[in-house]
Amino acid sequence: MAASASSQTASNPFNRLINEVGYTLAMLGIIGFVGFPLFWISISAFKLEKDVKKATIFFEPTIKNFQIIFSDLFDFDRLIVNSLIICIAVVVITVPLALMGAYALSRFQLPFKRVLLILILATQFFPPVVLTLPYFNLFRQFSLLDTYTAMVIVNLTRTVPFSMWLLYGFVDTLPVEIEQAGLVDGCREWDILRYITLPLAMPGIVTAAIFSFILAWNEFLYALLFTSEATRTVIVGLVNVVGERDVPWEQMSAAGILVMVPMLIMSFAIRKYFVEGLTMGAVK
Amino acid sequence: MRNSNVKYLFLLPGFLVILVTTIVPIFSVVNLSFQEWIVTRSPTPGPYIGFDNYIKALTDDDFWNAVTITLAYVVIVTAFSIAIGMFIAVMVQRVTFLSTVVKTLLIFPFAISLTLRGYSFRFMLLEGQGVLDKILDTVSPWTADVLWLGHPYWALFWVAVPTFWAWGPLAGLMLLGALNNISTEIFEAASLDGASRWRTFWNITMPLLRPMIFVLVLLITLFSIRMFDLVLTMTFGGPGRATETLNFFIYRIGFKIFNMGYASALAMLLTIVLIFLSYLYSRVLITE
Repeated sequence: MAASASSQTASNPFNRLINEVGYTLAMLGIIGFVGFPLFWISISAFKLEKDVKKATIFFEPTIKNFQIIFSDLFDFDRLIVNSLIICIAVVVITVPLALMGAYALSRFQLPFKRVLLILILATQFFPPVVLTLPYFNLFRQFSLLDTYTAMVIVNLTRTVPFSMWLLYGFVDTLPVEIEQAGLVDGCREWDILRYITLPLAMPGIVTAAIFSFILAWNEFLYALLFTSEATRTVIVGLVNVVGERDVPWEQMSAAGILVMVPMLIMSFAIRKYFVEGLTMGAVK
Repeated sequence: MRNSNVKYLFLLPGFLVILVTTIVPIFSVVNLSFQEWIVTRSPTPGPYIGFDNYIKALTDDDFWNAVTITLAYVVIVTAFSIAIGMFIAVMVQRVTFLSTVVKTLLIFPFAISLTLRGYSFRFMLLEGQGVLDKILDTVSPWTADVLWLGHPYWALFWVAVPTFWAWGPLAGLMLLGALNNISTEIFEAASLDGASRWRTFWNITMPLLRPMIFVLVLLITLFSIRMFDLVLTMTFGGPGRATETLNFFIYRIGFKIFNMGYASALAMLLTIVLIFLSYLYSRVLITE
């Protein structure tokens, strides 16, 4: 493709050398652009305060920052547990609901299918700030502030539509013939979903699960407004570490590593399906 | 397409959750938008004042400032994301060791919480301390005195950076997918006809990528128009109101000034715009 198109104009060795050097520089540039902030935060987490004030790559490494993060001052071990509880609950509720809805949208004759699809799309793009107002009042009224229930509910507002759309695109690409065969053999729809579609849709399901996990883990506005001492998430913990003035950037970096490493691992696991998930499988 | 007794049963749980958690609260916001309610003055919503909150929005300088800022923000983020994405996609096409390394890195920025991205870039931009500030001071000494996040124009650019730092690579991945879908025969025919590499790119590749670019523009617009997290972590709307996006403005009115009625009206205005945009998006994607 581009390679074959370029080789026919780079006919002499000098041009080829220029091409190769340019190519390598461009690639290194991209790696630098994408990777540099990750690298910088990672090393800053292991720096002492005096080193973090200097933008240097030579420093005395320390784990003091992590000790501070996990101490009673910031309680990050408890915060990680909080985030995990919320994220797992969100995923466990989201995935079955989304799969069932996606399956129905894809396989069954529905008179108002287009309306439902537009509905899913529209709710995905509602600005979270819009929902904070009624939810704040609702949670205050029913003493649901600073509860896991509240956090799970508000996270569902984002994960369910997104997962349903993602799985709809995915299930749509699965062949129907096997399901037809199952029906002929006398299977009920529920059995077909469970024994035929589910195994085939596993990549999509895992992608939806991980996407939802990441969305819930990184959730900021709702966590900021609706959690307090008891259910604080790691993201709000990060905000607390930063504080108002005299920001301890080295501690922020340590907290940052805790916040980001799980997500990097999870996104790496689904990297093949990331693009499909975002274009919702519709643009091929 | 089959028919079945259970089809509504399958749809029910998911859509019930969507309805109850998203649609129903919207009605509450609509209701609130027609009322006067300042939380610090009364524990319950006040009297109905018709469209007063909406009129207040349209005559509020801060509102129009927020609209302008948000528009500028969306344009900056979209333009940079697609430009970076195009560059990455074209460069990564050729399969080498480096291209594999790059492709692995491309999804990482997106997985990092916006809050962390905001703090990280704020840290790197610190005057004197931050590594980015130091690099920029060396590269362009005439801007050495600029306090990046305290500058009325630069602040907005830097609040845009963490967004296109993630969306650029992601756009790259998506454009790469689209590029790889273009059959090699077209390129072979072009080179047989004597088209130069540049010509091929502009007159053949770009037009074929138009659908994906359009999807990207819509997608990035829809995501960036809601920008809140970065404003809160990097500038808190400042300096002055120079980085106060619409979402942040709504947050400030609702949770700092506590005028819930007005905030609700503003939220509805933003929602209407978004519904329209997502309708456009649906026209592109839902092809049946």
